[in-house]
Order: sequence, then structure tokens, then C-alpha cells
Amino acid sequence: MSEFVEAVDIEVTVNGKTYQRSVEPRLLLVEFLREELGLTGTHIGCDTSYCGACTIHMNGAPVKSCTLFAVQADGQTLTTVEGLATDAGLHPLQKAFSEHHGLQCGYCTPGMLMSAKALLERNPNPSDKEIKKQIAGNVCRCTGYQNIIKSVHAAAAEMRES
Amino acid sequence: MEMKFNGEFKVAIPRQEAFDLLSDPQKFAPLLPTFHSMSMKDDKTATVKVKVGIGKIHGVAATELTLEEAQEPLRAEYVGRGKVMGGAYNMIAGFDLEEAGSDTLIKWRGETQMYGKILSLAGGSMRGYAESEINRLIGSLQLALSPEAEAAAIVAARQAAKPQGLWQKLLALFGLWSPPLPAAPAREVASKEEPAAAVRLLAKPPTRKVLKADVAPAALSRTEVGESIEMDRHGNPTWVGSHLRRKEDSRLVRGRGLYVDDYQSSDMLHLAVVRSPYAHAKILSIDVSEAEALPGVITTLTGAEIASVMQPYMQIGPEPGANIKDYPMAVTKTIYQGEPVVAVVAETARIAADAAELVNVDYEALEPVTSAEDAQHDKSIIHPDMGTNHNWHGIFEYGDLDQAFAEAAHVVKIDRLHFHRFSSTPLETNACVATWDKRGDIDFFTTNTFPAIAMQMMAPALGVSLDNIRCRTHDIGGSFGNKITSYPGMTIAALASRKLGGRQVKWIETRNENLLAGGHGGERTFLDTEVALDADGVITAIRSRHLDDCGAFPRYEPLGCAIWSQVLPATMKLRNIRVDFNQYITNKCPAVPNRGYSRLQHLWFMERVLDICGHQLGMEPDEIRRRNYITEFPYTTPNGCVYDSGDYLKMLKTAQDLLGWDEWKEKQRQARAEGRWLGIGIGTTLDSGSNNFAQAQIVNPDAPFSGNSEVCTLKVGLDGSIVAALGTVPSGQGHETATAQVVADVLKGVGPDLIHVHAGTDTARNAYSGHSGTYASQFAVTGLSAVHGAAVKLRKELLAVGAYALQASEDELEFGEGEMGAQLSVPGTDKVIPFMYLSNIINTNNAGLPPELDEVTLNVRHVFRPKFEVPDLKRKYGNLTLTYAAQLHIAVVEIDKYTFVPQILDYVVVDDCGTQINPKIVEGQVHGATAHGLGAALMEQYLYDASGNLLTSSFSDYTPITAMNMPDLKCASQESPSPFSYNGAKGCGEGGGAPLHTLSAAIQDALAGEDVVVGDTFGSPTAIYDLLHGKGRRTTVTHESRSAA
Ligand code: FES
Ligand code: FES
Repeated sequence: MSEFVEAVDIEVTVNGKTYQRSVEPRLLLVEFLREELGLTGTHIGCDTSYCGACTIHMNGAPVKSCTLFAVQADGQTLTTVEGLATDAGLHPLQKAFSEHHGLQCGYCTPGMLMSAKALLERNPNPSDKEIKKQIAGNVCRCTGYQNIIKSVHAAAAEMRES
Repeated sequence: MEMKFNGEFKVAIPRQEAFDLLSDPQKFAPLLPTFHSMSMKDDKTATVKVKVGIGKIHGVAATELTLEEAQEPLRAEYVGRGKVMGGAYNMIAGFDLEEAGSDTLIKWRGETQMYGKILSLAGGSMRGYAESEINRLIGSLQLALSPEAEAAAIVAARQAAKPQGLWQKLLALFGLWSPPLPAAPAREVASKEEPAAAVRLLAKPPTRKVLKADVAPAALSRTEVGESIEMDRHGNPTWVGSHLRRKEDSRLVRGRGLYVDDYQSSDMLHLAVVRSPYAHAKILSIDVSEAEALPGVITTLTGAEIASVMQPYMQIGPEPGANIKDYPMAVTKTIYQGEPVVAVVAETARIAADAAELVNVDYEALEPVTSAEDAQHDKSIIHPDMGTNHNWHGIFEYGDLDQAFAEAAHVVKIDRLHFHRFSSTPLETNACVATWDKRGDIDFFTTNTFPAIAMQMMAPALGVSLDNIRCRTHDIGGSFGNKITSYPGMTIAALASRKLGGRQVKWIETRNENLLAGGHGGERTFLDTEVALDADGVITAIRSRHLDDCGAFPRYEPLGCAIWSQVLPATMKLRNIRVDFNQYITNKCPAVPNRGYSRLQHLWFMERVLDICGHQLGMEPDEIRRRNYITEFPYTTPNGCVYDSGDYLKMLKTAQDLLGWDEWKEKQRQARAEGRWLGIGIGTTLDSGSNNFAQAQIVNPDAPFSGNSEVCTLKVGLDGSIVAALGTVPSGQGHETATAQVVADVLKGVGPDLIHVHAGTDTARNAYSGHSGTYASQFAVTGLSAVHGAAVKLRKELLAVGAYALQASEDELEFGEGEMGAQLSVPGTDKVIPFMYLSNIINTNNAGLPPELDEVTLNVRHVFRPKFEVPDLKRKYGNLTLTYAAQLHIAVVEIDKYTFVPQILDYVVVDDCGTQINPKIVEGQVHGATAHGLGAALMEQYLYDASGNLLTSSFSDYTPITAMNMPDLKCASQESPSPFSYNGAKGCGEGGGAPLHTLSAAIQDALAGEDVVVGDTFGSPTAIYDLLHGKGRRTTVTHESRSAA
């Protein structure tokens, strides 16, 4: 119920850029990213923290941005799917997902990429099982996961080589 | 046209070093932003190739760059000459170097003159290109001339990777070329050719004077995301059949798709829906005053208000269902939990949601009807105008049942089988942005995947012409048929927009709303089944009574009452069938088409019957299938459908080999000896695609539908680009890629990279018919036939114009790619003309054209209509579908004796969808359909309690299948080309629900010693526990054997 609660000033660094905004305390982080910053790559697929379409990194760790308030990100450093590609081009995961058909409609993809990235950062050579566990909180309704797992392996291999 | 530019910048290196770089073409050339390659003609002159492109036209251009003057260490000047895009240019680029302490000040100037056609085609935009390209070049130079090791390394790396080239840069200087991928701000750049150096420089420009401020990243448009697909056919002679990466991926992996909720604008309003908490209740009163008083709320809409400004939607079915008053909101009573009761429009989505909670509605609960079996008794009538809950009834009878049963060696009776409620729950929910402007036009940016039907439903109800409605889509987060019936939500948003003078109104379902009211797959109960078999275990006849539960409103129903009969005998050769088919209204969420729509229920039933019979006769599941499979194609079914091609026996063999059937059988014997529940199940299924809408006349002879059609428009744009627009509405199936493959094969020599396919559909592009959409596994056939037809027409026109322009005969001409993109040429001569000129001749420079080109527009539209007849409605006989893809799955399942969890130990999938257009996409569809079937068989169900409350109305309760629950699939495919499609392809998107049959069979086999019959599609641990403990409804089977015992 909206009693008018005072907006709170926050400062958040997203994909290397720092933003200062005044937000309602109840604004979800995913809403903040999408509506305030226009970073619509992070998606919303559910309302019970189940689907993972909203996965981003906060201080390097994957979080479901629908499960945090924007005010909880005050002073934190975030990365969203828009921050994956660099000057050198696409992230190996982005390339591998395309190469191995790890996406169809693409709605789950940003969250999948961010979850997978967190895994590869701590485990450069994950097993099938480890990959499945990592994306257990990311629902994909299109691919049946087979090619997502393949894509993560391929990206891991590329990252190990480079 | 002449352009001059100049400027200066300072670099922190000595003058001599700067001069050394600037005066060496080999070092200078690779700095060009679109550098491709170069070779040295002599030590002063380089022949440089650069990738060039304006708009959608891409090519490679060669130019000669000569170091005309080198006055060490003061001055270096290059002169260049070349031909580009139908024109010629001369250029000068000069650098004067002055010492500034230990630094060097570089004053530069560039001049260019351009001649020829290029100016008329691109002249206006030339200066802007030139400016931005110069900025990039200067940026590159500054980096290259900076003392930082990093810079040197980057340049060195580039030189190593591409031993030459610079020259493009100067071309770029002239603005003649912009890179194929946008070069500007760094992050978005992905081209392999893209020089990282230049890009970096622009990202953090050192002190310099530039012509203009840098373009901010925000100014980049979406089209700047490249859509380059793999150009390697891996030895395949055609683009069709090649494993290509998808055009779509480029934007989607970057998070740059455009789904409905991504579209935002500052004056947009947001709509929230108040929904009924009751399955069946009278609305006593509605009070919106508190909600409307909330600051930020703009308006509210009740069902009564909506009913006063629109007519109920057309009903597809005949009476009594035709009498249903179907409005998008409850008017006097609610008939399912989650039905819209009030809409609230506010400035933000959050205010709208808050206000929805302030709406007070008083209800009086009525008796709910929660199953088709209960609905039969009409104790509580859901639609008073209908007078009954029985929405549709028809008898499908073929052959001679009495004789078949009289001659039977075995008769097996099954009292009840049940197919549960689930759906594919696309990850993006239903959504739209509606704008009903003051001229009376309604614009929908929508997720609806069958806009042709949505428009035909909405236009008469809203009292507008169909032509007043525009539906457009872009990226859609999955549909699987579920989004076909999103038009009630669209209607509410449109009416809100009209009420508010044409403001944009956005409607986004929450997941909870989607599960409650976004549409459920159909539920079906099969009663009193009797099966006749001969002594060899061949089924000769089946008779049965089917009750379909379509929920509270039929909407797309009762089409499903006929659609199942596309696969009447499943994969079996029996000729005698009688199905007494009924559909009932219940107080549950309205049914929608769901992947495998209406056929998968029937296919599961037929396979379950086959396995139950096999079990009764003591016959192995593979053996009974071999005896019953249809083996000759094309095969006309008892109801006149024609199975185009296939080889089910071969699929079975392949699947058994892939599984290691004998080894698993051996393991199963051991497991059983140890008292373990290990089962092996086979499921065969059909995916019938491209349906004949005349089946609507089977459910309602007055239905104004028959046949099928799909549309593609294809043109060569004013700038020579090749652009396709489709009537199909992709939601992840890769239509852009497949379309480009087909067009590229027709314009042999022009690659798919040069074919631009609009994302999504837009009725304003005039590329749709009354059947347009994505459903019923038909893109590969109807969609691509339309594309192919359009490509053939365009090819013809291009050849006609080419022959005229080059003064050659059409058969001398060859398509290809040149420096200006797609072109026609006469091989062995210097006659060549790019598409840009062909378009120029027809569209912008067309005085004095000869009469034989009068009909040529280079903008063609093709409508594909498969050859269908209206069936014999009385006999319900005729061909209902064009193609029949098939799948065969085998599962090995072990059920834990303590937890009752069925664990999949091995899983094999063999599919046959005829000729594969893009094997990668086919594989993806096969995997996805398998996951849906497995999820439905093991985890996913819409579970209602006796009061009609949905108990699984969040993802946490509905539990869509995750990676943890998916077995590793072993896949194989075979190709039985369809004789009925131009390309041999068959639709393959739905998959036919094979995992449901397969898992039921495997669970049954695992429980073989337990004296239970698997009679329900849902095989969760709880369901298995209940089955084994006699809870819930049991299935009883009797077997009467009349053969010699
Ligand atoms: S939207 Fe965050 S988990 Fe589903
Ligand atoms: S690609 Fe559609 S949900 Fe994963």
C-alpha cells in the first residue's frame, strides 16, 4: 500500500558507470535497472525468485535482482548482461551460446549468462553436474538446457585457453 | 561533391617518431577503422581493401593510396584514388608536424572529391559519415602515436593478424564507408575486423580538437547491433540444410532484444488487473473509490463499463456455445479464479498494483464445477445463456466397429484414463502496449503469436474495421501456443487507452496472473475404452468416449474438438475407430493451444492403450509396435488424413540401438531380481503441421475458415538492401535466419548476411493473411514456402532489370557479391551492376523505362496456400494437415522404493521432420519439446482443489522443469522428406508430447509387478505414491481373450 515514504538517495555502479538516484524504498533492484537506468537486458520471469531471468552480479557474485531492493545496492558494484561484452568483443559465453544454440527466445539468456559467468570465474573447468547446479535457479522454457550446458563447456574451454 | 576537413592534435612523442609512422603506408594502413587487407604495389603505394557499408549495403572496396610527399620530418601527404559504390573519388590526406617541447603537434587536413552515382544515392548523408569516420581515424592515429606500450601492442597485434591495410581508413575518411558493424563506442563492437585500437581511443579521447563531440553510447540505435551470421556452410552446397548460427543471437546475447516490457516511454500508463479470488461467484458490488483516490491513479474500468462499450467476442463453435457472452472482464459473475474483474490504470506499474489492492468487491460464492466429469451433470450452469455446460459434441466413427469386435481375438477394456492440465509457461508472460489514438486506429505492440486471429476476434467486438488495428511484435519470450489467446488482455488495455484519449497503456501479466489466467493446456478424460485385437496383437478397433475440459471460456475452442483427429489412428494401421467426443465448460482457467495442441492428448491415449494391450497380451512394447505401425506412405487414415512420409520401424531400430536396448533389458532383469522398480518405456508420436482450417467447419459448419496461407514480402530497397517481412510471429524459432537461408539459395551467390529480415511481424508491412501467425508447426512449410515464392518472384524481376541494364540476356546473368554488396554480373565480362543501381533504375531514376519493365517493382509479395479441400463434414472425412513429423522416445526409469521419485537413467530421442532447413534449429526444437513433455510428465501440473482454487499458482508451486531435472538426451534424427512441401520439410516445433507417453510407459513397466495401471499423465512422486496406495481414481482394465488359449 503506498503510504508515501520518502525516497532514498542511492549511488550504484553498474557496468563501470556510477549512477546517483533517488528511489522509493520498495523499488526492486530489477525495476531500478530496467526503469531507472534503461538496462532492459535483465528480465523478469516470475514473482517468487524461481526463474533467474533477473540474475546479475553484485560485487562479483550472482544475485537475483528481483529479490533485492534497489536501496540494498547502495554503494555496490553491479554487472548486468549489458556489461558482458568488452572492447575486445563478445564475452566467450555470449559467443558460445550463439555457436551452440544455447538460446532460442533469448528471454532467459541474460540471467543464464550471468549465472554461468559466476561459475566459470570460480571454476574454470566445471563438470556437467556443476553446471546444472549452477543454473538450477535459472529456468529456460525453450532449449531443454542441453545446448546451454554445451555452451558453458565451450566457453570454459575457450577461457581456459586464452 | 567536395568536402574538406582539418584539425590538430598533440602527441607525446618526438617528431621523428611520429613522422616515421605517418610516412610508412604499411604502418599507417592498419589503423583504418574498417581495414580488411592490403598489399604494397611499391614502397610508396598500397592497395588497400576496406569493408564498406552505408546502411544495409556492405561490400569490400579496393583503393590505391600513395605517399605522394614525404618531407622528413615535417610533412607527409597521401593521395588516394578509388571507385566506391558506383562512384569515384580522389582524396588527399596531409600531416604537418611541428615540435612542441618534447611533444609533437600534428596538423592534419583531408580533402575529397566525389563523382558519380554515389552522390545521388548517399550524398545527403555523406558528410556526417565522413565526419565520424575522420574522428575515428584521428583517434586511431593518436593511439598509435602515443608512447604507451599498450597502444603499440594493439597496433602490432593488428598488423600481425592482418598483414596489411590502411586504406580503408581513408575511404572511411571520405565517409564512403562505414564499417559493417558500428564502430563507435566500444562495448557494442563485435566484428572480428573491428580495430580495437580505434575504438578504445574514442572511448577515452586524449586532448584533441575534433570536428564534433563524440556520439554518446545512448545515441546508438538498435539496428547498429550486427546481425552477422556464420558464413560457413561446412561443405553443404546450399544455405538450406547448413548449421548456421542465428541472426537473432547477436542482439539477444547482448541483452539488446526488445520484448514488450522493454519498451518504455515517459507518457506511458500502466494497467493492473483486479482478479476474482473465487472460481464461481456472483459480483454483488464493486467499489473503486479508494483506488481512484490514490495519487497517480488515472482511471479504473469495471466489467460493466467494458460491456457497455463493446460486443462479446465471436464464438468459433456452434450453439449452444455460440450463445456465450464472452467479455474480457467479468460482468455479473466470475467463472474462474483469476478472471479479471476491475482494471486500474496509473502512472506507474507500482501505483497501479497498489490501487488494485484498494478495490473492494463483494462476491457471493456459487457452486464450482471443477471437472469435465462433474460438468456433465449440469448441476451448476456456468454460462446461463448456454443453458448447459456441454460445449460441443461429435461422433467420429470410421470403419465397421461391430464386425471388428465380433472378429476380435482379444478385447481389452479400460474404464478411465486422464490427461492432466499443464502448459508450457513461456518465460515472458502475456503483455502489450495498446494505443487507441484519436483517429480511431489501435496500435498493439504485443506478445500475441497469432495476431490474425486476435484481430479477427477484437475488431468486430470493438466495432472497428480490421484495418484500424495494427499488431506488431519484436522479440517474444516464448509462446508455445499459449499466447494465441492474449486478446482479452489486449482489449482491456485498448479500451483503457481509448478512455484516456489515446495514451499508451502497458499491460504486463505477473507470473502469478499468468498461471492463474494466462491460459492452460487442455485436460482430457477418456472413458469406457474398448479395444479389439487380432491374435497377433494387432489392434483392429477402438471405441471410446472423450471428455475435454476447456475451462471457463472456449475462446480458441472448440477447434481442439476436431484438431486431435489429425492423428486419429496415431501411428497405427487400425481402420475401425469410434470416438464420442465431448467438450465441457468448467470453472477453471480457459484452455489455450499448448505445444502439441489437442493431438498430444489423443496420442498419449492411443499409446497408453497400445501399451496396456501389450501388457495384457504379454507382448513386449517394441514388438507390439512393430506389429501395429503404419509402414506404407503416403498413408490415408480412416478419416481421410494423409500421412505424407515416414519410417517408424527404422526410428524404433535406431532408438533401440542408441539406447542399448538389450543391455538395458538385461539390467532390468537383474534389478527386478533385486526387487527394484526399473522400467523401460517407448513413446511414438506425431507432430502434424500446417493445418487445414476447414477443420473449423467440422466443429461448426458455419465457421468462416478453411485452407491455410502465409505471406512474405520481399524487396530491394532504395539503397539496394534486400529486405524480407514475414507474417509469421517468431518467439525463438529463428525465422530471421531460416528466411535468409532460403532467400540466399534462390539468389544463388548472395549470402544470407545480405538478407535483412525484419524481426517479428507488423501488420502495417502488409505481410499477413487471415491465417498468419506462428502455431501448428508450420513455419518450415507454409512460412518458408511464402518466403521461397517471394524470392523466386524477386529473382525474376531482378533478372529482368539486370538484363536491361547490362544489355545482356537473362541467362547470362549471375548473382554475386561485390564491393557494393549484392550484384548481378555477366561472368567473363566487365558487366556488373549492384542491386543499388537496379533499384535506382526502377524506383528513383525511372524516366524512359521500356514497357517490358512496367510490372517490375522489386517489391514483391507472395502468399502461399497449400492445396486443401473442405472435408466431407457429415462423415468428418478429409485431409486436415499437410505434413506429419514423427518422434520416437525411449526412457529407462527407476522409481525409488522409499521416496517414489522416478529417476530417468537413460533417455533416447529420434526425430524425423523431413528435410531439415537448419539442423541446429531443429535440434533446439527437439530438445525444447522434450523438456516440456518431461516437465509435464514428472513435475508440472495445474492442480485445483474442490472449490476451484488453483494450488499451483506460482512458479515455486508449479515447478517448471530445471536443468537439475533434465536427463542428458541421446538424440538421433532421420529425414523422410515430405512430398507435399516444396522443400521436403515438415513442421517440427511441437514435438507431439512424446515424453508423456514414454514416461507413462516406463513408470508402468517399472511397476509391472504391482498390479496397478498407470492411468494418468502425471507421474510425480506423489502421484506414484497415490497410485500404489490406492488413493485417488484408479484405472481398471479387463481382458477377454477369445482366441485359442
Ligand atoms: S524474476 Fe527474479 S527469479 Fe524470476
Ligand atoms: S531461450 Fe527462451 S527461455 Fe531460454
